Amino acid sequence: MNRKSKKKFAVFAGTGCRACEKAILDIHYQVHSLSPWTDIVFWPYVLGSRWEDLDDDVGIDVCFFIGAIRTSEERKAARRLREKAGILVACGACAAYGGLPGLDNLSYAECGRVESEPEDSDLIPSVPSIESRVSSLSQIVAVDFVIPGCPPTQNLLWAAMQALICGPESLTKLSYTVARLPENISRAITAGILPPNGSVFAGEKAVCASCSRLKEEKKFKTVIRPYQKYEESGRCLLEQGLVCLGISTREGCGGICTAVGQPCRGCFGKPEGVYDPGAKMVSAISSTFESESAQEIETMVDAFEDLTGTFYRYTLPSQCSLMSKPQEE
Amino acid sequence: MTKRLTIESIRWQEEPAKVTIFRNGDKTDIFFQITSAKNIQGMCRGRPVEELPRIMPVIAPAHHLAAARVLDSLFNVEPPPMALNMRAGLLQAQYTTSHLRKLYFLLSHWVCPFEDFRAAERRHRHMKSVHRMLHDIMHHLALAQEAEVIIGGRNDHPLSAVAGGVSRFLKEGLYERLAEIAESCVLFAPRLGEFFRTEMFNDGKAMDEFRAVEIHPMAMITLAGAEKSIVLKGVTGKETDSFPVARAFEKIGLHTEGWTHMPFAYVMEKGWKGLQAEQTGSLCFVGPLARLNGGEPLTSPMAEKERRHLIEMLGPFPHFGVVAAYGALLVELIQAAEYMKELFVQEKLTGPSIRIIPSEMNRSGCAAIESPEGLIFHEYKVNGRGVVENVRVMDAATANNALRCVIVQKVVSDAMTEGLDLSAIKSRVEISLLPF
Repeated sequence: MNRKSKKKFAVFAGTGCRACEKAILDIHYQVHSLSPWTDIVFWPYVLGSRWEDLDDDVGIDVCFFIGAIRTSEERKAARRLREKAGILVACGACAAYGGLPGLDNLSYAECGRVESEPEDSDLIPSVPSIESRVSSLSQIVAVDFVIPGCPPTQNLLWAAMQALICGPESLTKLSYTVARLPENISRAITAGILPPNGSVFAGEKAVCASCSRLKEEKKFKTVIRPYQKYEESGRCLLEQGLVCLGISTREGCGGICTAVGQPCRGCFGKPEGVYDPGAKMVSAISSTFESESAQEIETMVDAFEDLTGTFYRYTLPSQCSLMSKPQEE
Repeated sequence: MTKRLTIESIRWQEEPAKVTIFRNGDKTDIFFQITSAKNIQGMCRGRPVEELPRIMPVIAPAHHLAAARVLDSLFNVEPPPMALNMRAGLLQAQYTTSHLRKLYFLLSHWVCPFEDFRAAERRHRHMKSVHRMLHDIMHHLALAQEAEVIIGGRNDHPLSAVAGGVSRFLKEGLYERLAEIAESCVLFAPRLGEFFRTEMFNDGKAMDEFRAVEIHPMAMITLAGAEKSIVLKGVTGKETDSFPVARAFEKIGLHTEGWTHMPFAYVMEKGWKGLQAEQTGSLCFVGPLARLNGGEPLTSPMAEKERRHLIEMLGPFPHFGVVAAYGALLVELIQAAEYMKELFVQEKLTGPSIRIIPSEMNRSGCAAIESPEGLIFHEYKVNGRGVVENVRVMDAATANNALRCVIVQKVVSDAMTEGLDLSAIKSRVEISLLPF
């Protein structure tokens, strides 16, 4: 591939941790050097890039936007990068769905927020104001592709990079594409063309489809909190009484959390065909309550804690139908 | 007329940061600003407390272990030895990844991190040794990440530590892999130490311009005695105060300023006295250098040898300079490799029980750990159903925020006196902040 045809790649991070950015760096260092495929033209965390570096002459072919949007500056950045980038990708759970920072929306009423931009003076500089709500990228601007996960797994991240950056020139394009990707994305990658707009680089079914735990009897008998019980049987966590979001979460991770004995918390967002992951969980659990006694059911329901914060752990700003706001423009 | 200069974005910081400079005649005001903020309190309040070890890694991976220790204290449970060993092994792997990444950033500062190394070597033959070392660093970073995944489930957001222990046994075969990883790190870490000593730190070498970057001495906070008490060390490195973790927020205060999204930690007894580089009396810092500044010998032989090399090069501890801070990273890297070798043996990672199921619950809990970035402490208050009512967290970035501001003031004013341009000042700021 000659230098002229290299894609121009940008990475920007809003509110969150640096895990997604480190995951991209690790792809470059540990999986495949990105330099033959791309010129990285903007990445504040690694290159120290300034906005002035993105003047009118510098276009961006592919931009990975990482992190949720919580400040006025991050909102401006999202709009600017949407204008500049041919392909804008929401990378990681925070950009895709609001992520853990999105939980802050539940405490909005309690916390005092800076609503207006503080005045800059000749003596004291200002900082970007904090917005009243945390938003996902797709609530601010149109997003072309999504790479979910907190952080995204290396194989899905690399599959997305091959599809969007390396294109047909990738020598290793077949290596990661088959596992767990929806068929239309796999086909596009192997053909060396862009996947359909709006594609999510993850599976189509729910996590339960790839979870290695033994599913026996879909009966929810009692609510158990993770610190209250430990069972070595390898049985489905939901069947044990632990609230596990595998049933309302898109697969692609391979069941990392459940393999460690921890319930899924939904960092891949909802799967195809699910409108609201929380509603799906309510439906899934309540339809399998073993008891038919109203009093027993009421006692069981009382034992749940923080259903909103659990069912929408990573998706509150964008996938909770009662709280999310539609895209602004 | 006031002239305003802005240096952004500052590389390698855990939060987006910039430096703003106001110049008016002889007067120069320098601000190190954190421009984005996570509201940890907002994320945690209302959650079942057992979920916090899975939320806290949004600050940094080691907060997972700190949160699990708070749960131990909240539920009055002491994890079985095997679980404690697994947690300790995870922490040492986190030290390795964190310190290696910083050293990688330092080395790759002199080359483009995304350039084609083979093409660059054809142009500059002397870069070969640096490139080989960069390759070895990333190889070992990948190995340490593998260890984190084996023990913690994931590397950046681990999830295996739970109230009273860990969530699963290790699978057969993984003990050997962990031992291989530890062995490889033990062989590599001293080689890395020697590389930095001979190629970077010696007189006339790459770090020469940073030899003079020192801050005015300030207090340090570290952990002592089976992680039950916090020690405040004075500027001589000697203990001036010691208090239980539960009193941490009575002793260490947080000061906020409108020009940054991150508060500043300070010693409450001394009161907040501002951020002038020469008045550091009430300020404090945490991290590898703070830990070594006590001057006590280390129990790990290879790490102790590296510490002695550092003393030969810079003189006895305490130190408050950038080169010493990088040296401290190397010492701790070797120490982590030795600890991993000690811990990653089958006898230490097997046992009859991995966790104790709690039978009671307190209404509050607290814990502190020495994370790779520095001392961190958490305090949670819950209601009768174990739902979080209040969370207080001191992370290393907050604890070192004042230190970072003072370093930036010192570096920028010295560089301006030398007449450096903004890009050179930026580069010097970034390298000076990286090891803290």
